Amino acid sequence: MTQVMPDATTPANKTFAKKTIKAKAVKRRGIRQTMSDLHIWTGLLVGWLLYAMFLTGTVAYFKEEMTRYMMPELAAASPPPAAQTAQRVLDQIRVKAPEATQVSITLPTERKPFVSAFWVQPSPQGNRFTNGTFDAHTGDALQTRATRGGEFFFRLHFNFHYIPVIWGRWIAGLCAMFMLVAIISGVITHKKIFVDFFTFRWGKGQRAWLDAHAGLSVLGLPFHFMITWSGLITLMFLYMPFGLQALPDAADRNAVTSEIRFFVPPGKPAGQAAPLLPVGPLVEQAEVRWGEGGVGAIQVTNPGDASAQVYVVRQQAHRVSTTPQYVMFDGVSGELAKVKDGSGPAAETQGVLYGLHLGRFADVVTRWLYFLVSLGGTAMVATGLVLWTVKRRAKLPVPAKPYFGFRLVERFNIAAIAGLSVAMTSYFWFNRLLPLDLAGRAAWEVNGFFMAWAAALVWALVRPAKRAWVELFWLAAILLAGLPVLNVLTTDRHLFASLRDGDWVFAGFDLTMLVFAAVHACLAIRTARHKPRAKPVSRKPRAAPSGQQPGPGTGAPTASLTKGENAEAATKPSTESRLPMDVARAFTGERS
Amino acid sequence: MMNNSFWAVHMVLLLCCAAGFACMAISMLRHQEDIFGKELSASATRLLRLAGWLLLAAALLVAVSAMGWSFGLTAYSGHTSAAAGGVFLALLTYERCKQMRANK
Repeated sequence: MTQVMPDATTPANKTFAKKTIKAKAVKRRGIRQTMSDLHIWTGLLVGWLLYAMFLTGTVAYFKEEMTRYMMPELAAASPPPAAQTAQRVLDQIRVKAPEATQVSITLPTERKPFVSAFWVQPSPQGNRFTNGTFDAHTGDALQTRATRGGEFFFRLHFNFHYIPVIWGRWIAGLCAMFMLVAIISGVITHKKIFVDFFTFRWGKGQRAWLDAHAGLSVLGLPFHFMITWSGLITLMFLYMPFGLQALPDAADRNAVTSEIRFFVPPGKPAGQAAPLLPVGPLVEQAEVRWGEGGVGAIQVTNPGDASAQVYVVRQQAHRVSTTPQYVMFDGVSGELAKVKDGSGPAAETQGVLYGLHLGRFADVVTRWLYFLVSLGGTAMVATGLVLWTVKRRAKLPVPAKPYFGFRLVERFNIAAIAGLSVAMTSYFWFNRLLPLDLAGRAAWEVNGFFMAWAAALVWALVRPAKRAWVELFWLAAILLAGLPVLNVLTTDRHLFASLRDGDWVFAGFDLTMLVFAAVHACLAIRTARHKPRAKPVSRKPRAAPSGQQPGPGTGAPTASLTKGENAEAATKPSTESRLPMDVARAFTGERS
Repeated sequence: MMNNSFWAVHMVLLLCCAAGFACMAISMLRHQEDIFGKELSASATRLLRLAGWLLLAAALLVAVSAMGWSFGLTAYSGHTSAAAGGVFLALLTYERCKQMRANK
């Protein structure tokens, strides 16, 4: 702005020149720059939560498999015929809770070999809901260690934890909205989306980070857009309840809801006792309609009453959309009373987006593709977060003493990225190590997860940044590689046995842990091995946490250094101050 | 579902997509420079781009005809992302190896 153009000597010309310069400056902040700023700041603001949502959501594609791994007592076996299982479990629940007005039973599948159910009992305080899990073969209550299994990560990724579920969902929605803004502004910012499609400029520091970030974003772009948008759609009635609220009464609202998902509250009982028909033959009738394995769940309302109804619900995993499909029988006469085999286009659109998000229909290959592309999205968020520090690192006014905001982002990045790996792996360790009869065992596994995460945050805050990265990556690698070992020591379904028996859930889990351990070890080694181009300044400032003054001279941080070092320090920031850049290079493989 | 044709369909999908994206990458001047050290002729470039599109279209056809629209499109989307990622990594590794050999 201070530059004077050659012809800007006369006052008239001066104003003209000023104007053109101004116009140029305004023009320079064009749509791309604005979008870039929008992208950077929306990304940073929710980046840590987004990373956690992305990673826990990613692993949730294998939530049934994780649950099985966390219940090693539960033998792998194909589920028995649906009609038998439904009848057995229903009988068990009716003995336990004879006054139940509703019993809902989710039948086992190849992926989830046990039954989960809930039932509703009226009480003076309102309806009481009880959950239970049952053995598919015997119908008895499931005898395994108490654990929330993979369900914990699934719930965590949109509910968070220790806070009311509704708050969690609002926060998740806010993060998803920011993510959507970041995706769209990111695409606009990315000038050469097609030209640079396969480009990666190796070993160019910030460039390489940018290429990695852009590559991960562009390759999975259809997925990233789908998953973010559909994530918002899954909770659209929470975020935008106005349409439903405009309906005059509860029956109308229920009617809308029951077009979208399987939701049939029990009607008023007739007050006249009548025996409930066996449900097995009804399940078999539905199987004729949908094929073997086509039945996913049953719901019995007002059993033992003349108004009893039996709903047989189609297996979710056999179609993409989550809209309900079911047949309803009269529970006393067995007459087929209703067939629901589709919803309106609006509900179906929501159902398909919801189904795409959950991926419950995915076969094993598609499931792995979901997992890998989603993992790419997780890495996209991580590279974006690190890029923020890499870019600002080079421009720090006093490299040895970064400003507070920089240090905050740097440390939170460590805790959010390396720390989450430690915490998630710890969750599995607690599953194997906590005493089986511990009261509140399932909750303690979860508490253990958060304690490990909190410890990682403290570690990231007190250690020098580079060392915190290296140490936490190493810790994660050791914990990950240790899981298969722990499995040998604590169960008889270790890697050797599972490979021998062709138990691919256990073998796959252990092998995946080993691969992730190798990835974390590589990250740790590359981060640790990388040396900045400059000779290290001296031991003392290196050992000091990066937030502290490296030398005694407050005004001039390099005053205490010798002349040679001083010159070096002036051109190259000290080892400590260049840390995220080191990490950056370590990721991209650049060597000095 | 888990019979041989299940695996065959997924293999064909992944290979078609990977070959398609490989053709696409080689049809770009920047990558021609990297791989061959020179630009290919305009007709070869056009042919590669056409082959790339045809392979991707063939994969889509296989996916939809074998798995139906809903499952087919989802699987196709996953395979294209994974294949593009694979080609990306392959180019990266190739460059890296060449660089290391040059440094020796």
